[in-house]
Amino acid sequence: MACRIAVDIGGTFSDVAIEFEDGSIAIHKAPSTPDDPVAGVLAALDAAAARNGTSRRAILAAAEVFIYTSTKAINAIVTGSAARTAFVTTAGHPDILLLREGGRTEPFDYTVPFPAPLVPRRLTFQVTERIDAAGRILTPLDPAGLERLAEAVKRERIEAVAVCLLWSIVNPAHEQAVGRFLAERFPDLPVTLSHELNPCLREYRRASSACLDAALKPVMTAHLADFEARLRQEGFDGTALAVTSQGGVVPIAAMARAPIHALNSGPAMAPVAGRAFAAADAGSNTAVVIDTGGTTFDVSLVADGRLPATQELWIGGRYRGHITGFPSVDVSSVGAGGGSIAAVDEGGLLQVGPASAGAVPGPACYGRGGTAATVTDAALVLGYLDPAGFLGGRMPLDPALARTAIEPLAAALDIGIEAAAAAILEVAGEQMVQAIEEVTIRRGVDPARAVLVAGGGAAGLGAVELGRRLGCRAVLFPSMAPAMSAVGALLSDMLREVRVTRFARLDSLSAADLERIGADLSARLAAETAGDGAGAALEYFLEGRYERQIWEIEIPLGAGIPGPGEMAAVRAAFDATHARLFGIGDPRSAVEVVSWGLRARTVQRAGRELPRAEAEPPRPGPRRRRAVFAGVGAVAVPVLTPADIGSPVPGPLIVESAYTTIVVPPGAEIGVTAHGLMATIRRASGEIGPREAAA
Amino acid sequence: MTTTPLVRRHHRDPVALAILKNRFEAIARKMAHTLLKTGRSGVLNTARDFSCGILTADGELVTGAECYPIHVLRGPDLMHATMKAFHPDLRPGDAVLHNSPYHGNTHAADHAIMIPVFDDRGRHRFTTLVKAHQADCGNSIPTTYVGTARDVYEEGAVIFPAVLVQRDYRDIDDIIRMCEMRIRVPEQWRGDYLASLGAARIGEQELLELGAERGWDALEDHTRAWFDYSERRMVSALGRLASGRAVAHGTHDAIPGTPPDGIRVQADVTIDAAAGRVSIDLTDNPDCMPNGLNLSQGCALSAAIVGIFNCIDHTVPPNAGSLRRIEVKLRENCCVGIPRHPTSVSVATTNLSDRLSCAVQRAVAAIDPRFGMADGGPPFPPVAGVLSGFEPDTGAPYCNGILFAGSGGPGNPYTDGWVTLLSMGNAGMPQMHSIEVAEIQHPIVIHDRAIVPDTGGDGRRRGAPGTLTRFGPTAAPVEVGYVSDGTVHPAEGVGGGLPGGPSRQWRVRADGSEEILPTYGQVVLQPGESLISITAAGGGCGDPLEREVERVAEDVAEGWVTPARARAVYAVVCAADGTIDPTATAAERAARRAAA
Repeated sequence: MACRIAVDIGGTFSDVAIEFEDGSIAIHKAPSTPDDPVAGVLAALDAAAARNGTSRRAILAAAEVFIYTSTKAINAIVTGSAARTAFVTTAGHPDILLLREGGRTEPFDYTVPFPAPLVPRRLTFQVTERIDAAGRILTPLDPAGLERLAEAVKRERIEAVAVCLLWSIVNPAHEQAVGRFLAERFPDLPVTLSHELNPCLREYRRASSACLDAALKPVMTAHLADFEARLRQEGFDGTALAVTSQGGVVPIAAMARAPIHALNSGPAMAPVAGRAFAAADAGSNTAVVIDTGGTTFDVSLVADGRLPATQELWIGGRYRGHITGFPSVDVSSVGAGGGSIAAVDEGGLLQVGPASAGAVPGPACYGRGGTAATVTDAALVLGYLDPAGFLGGRMPLDPALARTAIEPLAAALDIGIEAAAAAILEVAGEQMVQAIEEVTIRRGVDPARAVLVAGGGAAGLGAVELGRRLGCRAVLFPSMAPAMSAVGALLSDMLREVRVTRFARLDSLSAADLERIGADLSARLAAETAGDGAGAALEYFLEGRYERQIWEIEIPLGAGIPGPGEMAAVRAAFDATHARLFGIGDPRSAVEVVSWGLRARTVQRAGRELPRAEAEPPRPGPRRRRAVFAGVGAVAVPVLTPADIGSPVPGPLIVESAYTTIVVPPGAEIGVTAHGLMATIRRASGEIGPREAAA
Repeated sequence: MTTTPLVRRHHRDPVALAILKNRFEAIARKMAHTLLKTGRSGVLNTARDFSCGILTADGELVTGAECYPIHVLRGPDLMHATMKAFHPDLRPGDAVLHNSPYHGNTHAADHAIMIPVFDDRGRHRFTTLVKAHQADCGNSIPTTYVGTARDVYEEGAVIFPAVLVQRDYRDIDDIIRMCEMRIRVPEQWRGDYLASLGAARIGEQELLELGAERGWDALEDHTRAWFDYSERRMVSALGRLASGRAVAHGTHDAIPGTPPDGIRVQADVTIDAAAGRVSIDLTDNPDCMPNGLNLSQGCALSAAIVGIFNCIDHTVPPNAGSLRRIEVKLRENCCVGIPRHPTSVSVATTNLSDRLSCAVQRAVAAIDPRFGMADGGPPFPPVAGVLSGFEPDTGAPYCNGILFAGSGGPGNPYTDGWVTLLSMGNAGMPQMHSIEVAEIQHPIVIHDRAIVPDTGGDGRRRGAPGTLTRFGPTAAPVEVGYVSDGTVHPAEGVGGGLPGGPSRQWRVRADGSEEILPTYGQVVLQPGESLISITAAGGGCGDPLEREVERVAEDVAEGWVTPARARAVYAVVCAADGTIDPTATAAERAARRAAA
């Protein structure tokens, strides 16, 4: 039976999702094998094959596509194990990566050191040349400088080179000449030219893009080629794809050419999956997708069916790390996971996170020597977690240790231990509410319009309460949530994006200008997508701003470049979008366009339904557990498995599955959907949320 | 200023407290985001020279999370009092434009929008504040820093002492038209006004929702609890310092209107750790000068307080609660005190303010060497001044604050100086111009921008180096206005740390000859000429001989420090290939210590 396969190779586990022709999906996890990542994937495929009574080879042979995503690229950057990279820059500007664009957070915090440049100054090489904003050559490229560069490449044992010269986006001649020179002298040396990779205004962003990309090439190019070759040896004969930070897939060979796009690929898939579940199970095209793990809480917003985008993705934190320079799926992360540590500070304020107990020693109740009170300890004290059944019984928890850890906090707050535990969950929940409101309200989306899609091991503890506080329509717990990224990869489209920088006033563009821009975009796309196959849907857009502003906003243009007759509508769309984002529009101001873009989307699964996961086997016998709820106190609540749930069951109750525990507080109910469970708030009950109270 | 006699132990709901802290900060962040993305002038959309805050109905600062310290620590309280005194009939839909430094504001170039927020029964509950540095404020010359103005009349700014600019959510067009007649590049000003107003209105909207959700009385209760909490944090932070008193000085380079050797200011700091109090006496300082360096009352208070916050546990929230524990004594007609109208305070936010903050930091270090820090590089060089002229192709005028580079940060007990700190008062929060954006926005070419080796003040923790920038016009003259400092009196080190490198600026003429430019300048560059500016470096903190050899090695390898200076100052010996010679270094350090 034909199938489609996606893998998400993480630091701890490799997730495999296999979608079969009959609409079923199989999910498997196996420990990751960092020394030979393919081995872990093959082991997971073996497990899948065994369960389906077939062989790994048969599954691979039947696979039409194999989609890859992993944390390898981001790990290489974060751990500093990427290639020894040289940065080539315009003479006079050696400190583009050091000075960046300035910026600092927390004015009084002098404990944070100034960040080191992405490429050290000693591996930064200046070549004499200069082009101006109009593309005129002010200083020709000096061949002697190239010779010095060649010597340095040898002397310093350089493994990759990034080239970013000022104004290469307007006139790439000098960057191209440096590229040709290096290709001639060092045919095997990976080189990234900034104008080819990321033709954006602002040299720091372009340089950072180029350096990240070059630094990843030696490791990723070989790894991806090897990965694909191994799959083919194992019988795979379909199309090999890789997930990008932009939330789409590209041929694995294209990823090998520009591996920077792999950096945020895993998290980018969560909203892709969340969008599909929200549409299928709740009929909503607006969703808040959360992923709660041990140390972080990731959140993203799907509004009107669109994936969230950010222009500024930083690796290592804003102003403290490195910008990728590319738009990316916008996934915010806050330090509020199951392992987040709670403490009462010297002023008497309860704080949760961002410090985390991590996996080792982990929460106090793990009994591995941790003494700090964590969110997991609080959940255990409140009776939300089963001490014997956590993670399917693989990790027994000790409630006494949890109470001991929370005791000092309770004393400092002058409240009981259970009240302190409830307070810890409430503060952690508030941070999540903040994170969600930042991504929703900032974009003009009322969370009350949205469905909350909960993924990740710790999501179930607070997700229903979170949904209540945000006033969300419903909270979904898809049964495929444990492999959210791999499932998202299966559902994602082939997505290619190109752009050109053409600085001009919107009202000054002639028909010929617009035609030329359209032709340039088409040519760039054609060069990029040779071999992708036909049938792509085209989406044009422009990035513009009011006169004298400098931060652009994106305006969608539809399936073609507009003609002069349509410019009034484009202008009106700009004013409306600006007003929606920032509260004011200014029809009196001129609009300047900085760049034009074209996205080509090839739907991978046209006409197919969302796949259905296999049901978990029910566990025998009804169970009850004592659990504490705000405003109600301790009650013995039913503990159900997903298989026990059909039509909606009112809370308070607890649902335990192999991967997560869902707490359904009083006033909410939970029922089954096509792809998992869905909790809703019963408006008629005595429990009234703040939003309703305000109405 | 108000103080509470005892630290109160509050039994208020700690969860609600934590939640509201986050909510207020989130509102301020949203206001700031709006302003950054919609501002028209480079001062706002690049340099981010603005602050978004929330005040109580009594004018107390609730959150300064999205603020420049110099803008808001003190001053908004005075501005708020002015607004209420001048407009006893405030009502929903009102907005006030306030830039008067004689009524609490920093300086005339900072236009503040204040919007009182009312509950549904018409009671004033909070006020949103957006303070934004303008690209131009109608001064007599095209700069927002008129260093040599004898008085506010020569300075020329239009002053708005808490003037009503909106009623019933509609502009009072008289005011807008006045500004459009008196402020250069009026459409740029109007765009920035819209952006500021939008940000303040978004804050109002958010507060209205918060009040409806939580209840206004509860919100006020929690605000008071938040102040009390912040005060407790301040008490315990000050409790970790040693008690004592120290006087430290700072001298600003001479410009017209100062004494010939510059203007020397002092901070007399007393820490009472046991009582959890600090007092800064600024009364024994020179009278106001006939120039724009004088501080406004808001700046004098804030600059002194910045010096304290830079030295204590950085997690103490800066708000009206923690400020109860800092007393600042000022006197009238003092250059770092309370200026009388029409004294000019055109440059109040930067130059003498930084000198004052740095003096406080060094005084703290003198009392307790574990804390305090060196001087940051004195601001503000020509590359952080104001650029104006006419576009060569269209003849359209432009006038814009620029930030191509700034001064280096101070060495401090924890880290080497922050390279892009720019000034103590804005603490590195501004974003600097991208070369390419600067060249699109102005008819100039920036030929060089790089840090200068051996300029960072040496120390156990090194000051950040200065930056050299060279730029010149393309096809039409360009005017640069600036008030610099730190050429004669560079950043001082602390605890054995050495001074930072001085600031310098000069013109390179078309024939290659050079002309040194003064500390204060309004310079016209012709096509073919260029201006070179080296920014002031930060001072060092602690004895350079105590700097870890590995750090010196990294500095040498990265070109921050030359091998010659590594040997001379750090007693670290490099081999011919630039690597460290550990044996020779150990011997050199031992000999140097023995000699000391």
